[in-house]
Amino acid sequence: MSRIGRDQPGRRMLLSGNEAIARGALEAGVQVCSGYPGNPASEVVEALIEASREFDLYVEWSTNEMVALEVAGAAAAAGLRSLTAMKNLGVDVCSDFLMTVNLSGTRGGFVLVTGDDPSAHSTTTELDTRSYARLADVPLLEPSTPQEAKEMTRWAFELSEELGLLCMVRSVTRLSHSRGVVELGPISRERRKPELSFPPPWTSGSSSFACMFHEALHQKMRTAAERFEASPFNRYEGPEGAEFLIVASGPPWIYAVEAVELLGLGDSVGILKLGTTWPLPEGLLRRHLGHAREVLFVEEIDPFLEQNVKALAAELSSEGVGPIRFYGKRSGHLPAVGELNPDLVLRALSSLRGVGYSPREEGYGRRAEELVGEHVPSRSMAFCPGCPHRASFWVLKRALRWDGREAVVTGDIGCYSMGLLPTGFSVEQTLHCMGAGIGTACGFGKLGRFGFDRPVVAVSGDSTFYHACLPALVNARWNSSDLLYVVLDNSTTGMTGHQPHPGSGFTASGEPSPPVRIEDVCRGVGVEVRVCDPFQVDEATRTVFELLQGKGPRVLVLRHPCPLTEAEKRKKRPRVYVDQEKCLGRECGCMAFCSRVLGCPANTWDFSKDKARIDEVLCTGCGLCATLCPAGAIVVEEEG
Amino acid sequence: MGGPDLLQAQVLSHGFCAGCGACTSICPYLNLVQGRAVLLEPCGREEGRCYSFCPRTEVDLPLLEERVFGNTRADPALGVHSSVVKARARRGEVRERAQYGGTVTSLVLHALREGRVDSFVLTGSRDGLLPQPLLARAGEEVLSCAGSRYLLSPSVGEVVRLLREGEGERVGFVGTPCQVLALRKIQAYEREWEVSRVGPVIGLFCTWALSHRAEGFFREKLEGRRVRRLDVPPPPANLFVIETEGGRLELPLDRVREFIPPSCRVCFDMTAELADLSVGMVEGEEEWNTVILRSEEGRRLFREAVEEGEVEEAPLERERLEHLREASLNKKRRAREEGERLGIRYLKGVEG
Amino acid sequence: MKDPLNLLVVGVGGQGNLLASFLLGSAAVEEGLYVSVGETYGATQRGGTVMSHVRLSRRRSYAPLMPEGSGDVLLGFEPVETLRVLGSFGNRGTRVMVNPRPVYPLEVLSGQAKYPNVAEVLKAIGELSSEMVVVEATELARRAGNPAMMNVVMVGALVSRGWLPIRPETLRRVAVEVFGEGSPNLRALELGMEEGRR
Repeated sequence: MSRIGRDQPGRRMLLSGNEAIARGALEAGVQVCSGYPGNPASEVVEALIEASREFDLYVEWSTNEMVALEVAGAAAAAGLRSLTAMKNLGVDVCSDFLMTVNLSGTRGGFVLVTGDDPSAHSTTTELDTRSYARLADVPLLEPSTPQEAKEMTRWAFELSEELGLLCMVRSVTRLSHSRGVVELGPISRERRKPELSFPPPWTSGSSSFACMFHEALHQKMRTAAERFEASPFNRYEGPEGAEFLIVASGPPWIYAVEAVELLGLGDSVGILKLGTTWPLPEGLLRRHLGHAREVLFVEEIDPFLEQNVKALAAELSSEGVGPIRFYGKRSGHLPAVGELNPDLVLRALSSLRGVGYSPREEGYGRRAEELVGEHVPSRSMAFCPGCPHRASFWVLKRALRWDGREAVVTGDIGCYSMGLLPTGFSVEQTLHCMGAGIGTACGFGKLGRFGFDRPVVAVSGDSTFYHACLPALVNARWNSSDLLYVVLDNSTTGMTGHQPHPGSGFTASGEPSPPVRIEDVCRGVGVEVRVCDPFQVDEATRTVFELLQGKGPRVLVLRHPCPLTEAEKRKKRPRVYVDQEKCLGRECGCMAFCSRVLGCPANTWDFSKDKARIDEVLCTGCGLCATLCPAGAIVVEEEG
Repeated sequence: MGGPDLLQAQVLSHGFCAGCGACTSICPYLNLVQGRAVLLEPCGREEGRCYSFCPRTEVDLPLLEERVFGNTRADPALGVHSSVVKARARRGEVRERAQYGGTVTSLVLHALREGRVDSFVLTGSRDGLLPQPLLARAGEEVLSCAGSRYLLSPSVGEVVRLLREGEGERVGFVGTPCQVLALRKIQAYEREWEVSRVGPVIGLFCTWALSHRAEGFFREKLEGRRVRRLDVPPPPANLFVIETEGGRLELPLDRVREFIPPSCRVCFDMTAELADLSVGMVEGEEEWNTVILRSEEGRRLFREAVEEGEVEEAPLERERLEHLREASLNKKRRAREEGERLGIRYLKGVEG
Repeated sequence: MKDPLNLLVVGVGGQGNLLASFLLGSAAVEEGLYVSVGETYGATQRGGTVMSHVRLSRRRSYAPLMPEGSGDVLLGFEPVETLRVLGSFGNRGTRVMVNPRPVYPLEVLSGQAKYPNVAEVLKAIGELSSEMVVVEATELARRAGNPAMMNVVMVGALVSRGWLPIRPETLRRVAVEVFGEGSPNLRALELGMEEGRR
């Protein structure tokens, strides 16, 4: 029985924002769901995968977000309620289709769920996708709590069907991954039969037709704005006619509510919560802007509401709204970058209203800072124990040093992005977006004619390969770029939670599907390709070194499974320990190679004997340290 | 003394590494790549075996001579020695496989047979080009290593391995001057291993060797033919000769000399001055070897082999001895000039 | 009960932080409370610090992040991380339950930093809290069959200690639902509960 599939309307459950969104879709009778794993949105699709058999849903992981949106768009065009979920950068990838399907329209409810990542906890940018709603002219909903996430998603399908237009629900990490109490509603069991009965063609048109559809789109948005006026997702709390108004959306709204409560400002400050943030509900805004003299915008990350509401206020200034002093990111009262939290809102309100706030006595803060400074070392990220990337990057580091020509190594998106850090021996030197590793390598690999004499190496993962690297690989072959492309194949999409991909051998729902092997694709493209196990360190190093001496595009697949996949976790793990008699410790010939250089979290140190020690709680038994130990002091004991 | 940072700065970055295998056999941060050591990253130690053992870091020659011979040299050209003679193998099977006189092979076979040592570290080759260290204990293994190699093998690494594995085995060594120097530094500076287990050290005369880049050049010229013997015939031939199974390949010596690595250009030692005894060719007499007897151990080994009828001895003509001294001094001069040009000087306590 | 009651669960990636906050949160929902649980994971899971904020209230849902200095109860899976978190979210009244087994960061293993003396760290924690309870949870988990169940032991100890408005029976019920009958995790939970009562 799936977590989100409980048929108990009225029951209260602790659900994450993502689970709540999935539940909302289920309650709305969604039939098709697609996506590509991306933090923080992955779990929306995963929750629906779990419920797919029970509720007769089709759920797929697509090779990338563009395909995902197109898959769901097709199902929606055929009349089925469909949902696509992706991280912020995924919207960049599917924007081509987004900017045309908004014009061509939909029949079944079509919902795009985006997960933004303020402070870029697990992304390479804080991109705020709300602007896409404005760019594409589609309705935008911003939930603040898991309960709301469920309600909004459910309603988004209705709205989408009424308008014949894709609707966007925008979440952020803090909502997607937080849990809150959600009251379950009834689940719609309606199952429609697909029918493509659009008057063909289904298109956004061109020239005068495109303009016609564009005008039709504007009309749809006017209807949406009307619906938003009456929406329960917009709410005003506070005294009537309050002169200090907070306009807030998303989880930051709750920070604002808490801040007002903690500062005791409930009598003088009004809070206008907006859940429908594009198009703006102008009537509602006019009412409250009308009595405001000061407005503080609380939102993340871009000043999206701030700019749009100010524009509206300027329009309304001839109708008696204003003058208003506006505060927010532009005024510097709230930071223009990064995630918000209750403290930032508290500080802004406290200074704007002249009310002091101290959560704990002065002395405590100072003393705590002292003690922490004295005792607490920083803690950086590391590849998990047993991670094949550790072996791969050690192989690459050795081979590149052997080569000695200071190769350029471009990186890509995944767990192995940490190849930039000491845990990956700082082998990687660049990082942008999916596919940019091999893409930029294509460029570096053509600079030889201008005197660039450094070898070029591109690194990507296996899921990344299918997602974004194919066009660049073909480009490298077609335009004869001199590069070595190393694909780190750990047989999963690791960073986001071990979802399957086209090389895994099965689909999202667990059905077997012959793997699309990376080396077969490479051969099909016409590129030299070899496959090695990075844990065979010497052989792999020699192979990389040999390939580095070549010309034109060459591919090396370093293949070894991630120890955290279900299949691997089920295996019996050998016991690994250090023979401290043989261990050289910090002596010449070792210098704590395992813990100081290799840096696996399980390679810890026995400070009392100044010798190496294996942390058996963390160790996965991969044996890499045993292979590399210069004294042969690490023992791998197979079970049984 | 020093550690990996100094090793990198003084030796590796200049290309002075002789590929002896001493440091790469004991350190996970030093890898042997195409005959040269590469430092992956400095380990953070300020002093280490890598620096102490390296034949191209600071060399305290008087100290090493004292330790090996009990005294320092009187002769600047040939180092510490008691006599210089001619010699050759008596046995036909040895003479067949030998480069020249077969003296080294005979001495090694003799020492093994007498039980003076349990094994010898030699340099063989599977394909006649690429050298490989070989731990030989008996007849055919020894014979298979007969012949000159022009690319250097990391055979010192093989001795190190044996010393660390601490089996009590007594091991002899045959190698070039740089390899002998590394071995003597190990014996002088190593504190933990039983370095007295190293038996007779037989040095080979060496004017220069070739870097592993030469391999590619040779293979191109060989076109798949199997190598039987490499040789540099005496002047005025100006050739590098490769005897193959499909005939004799002659290459211009000047072209081959382009592959002489920087480490040879700064080398002061032509006759392996720290060995127990040193063996080389006699110019113009392919059947004989020149032998320099240096230490008590070297003399004993040679005497015994002669007495047992393994080796035939003869006096060395005066002109040949003068010629040898001149050649050796020339090499020292060239090394000093190269050193001055590069601004380095790694020999301590030696003038001229 | 203080309303909202702010609980922090802190540890190092891989220590089972998320499961612990999920158990506690779910038990609180069963007790009819409003619950918000906030976490950071993703990249930080790979060996970095992981923090969960659990807000409990009878009145309404609070933000999944608590303001600085407002932590009431702190459940620490690692001593240095516990001290670090007290720095930001602790106050004089904070009650702390901590597992004293260190997990060395890379900086310490590579020799760039020193890991402090654990007794000193515990002393500092004691100074910054109103009450501190040390639970050798990894040992207890080992006794229950697997040292990786340390997080479950800690959850049991915290609930039986009575610092949260959650009854042990409620926690047990949730645990059975999550782990299934006969799971060794239930044994770990019991050992933790026993310890918490002492």
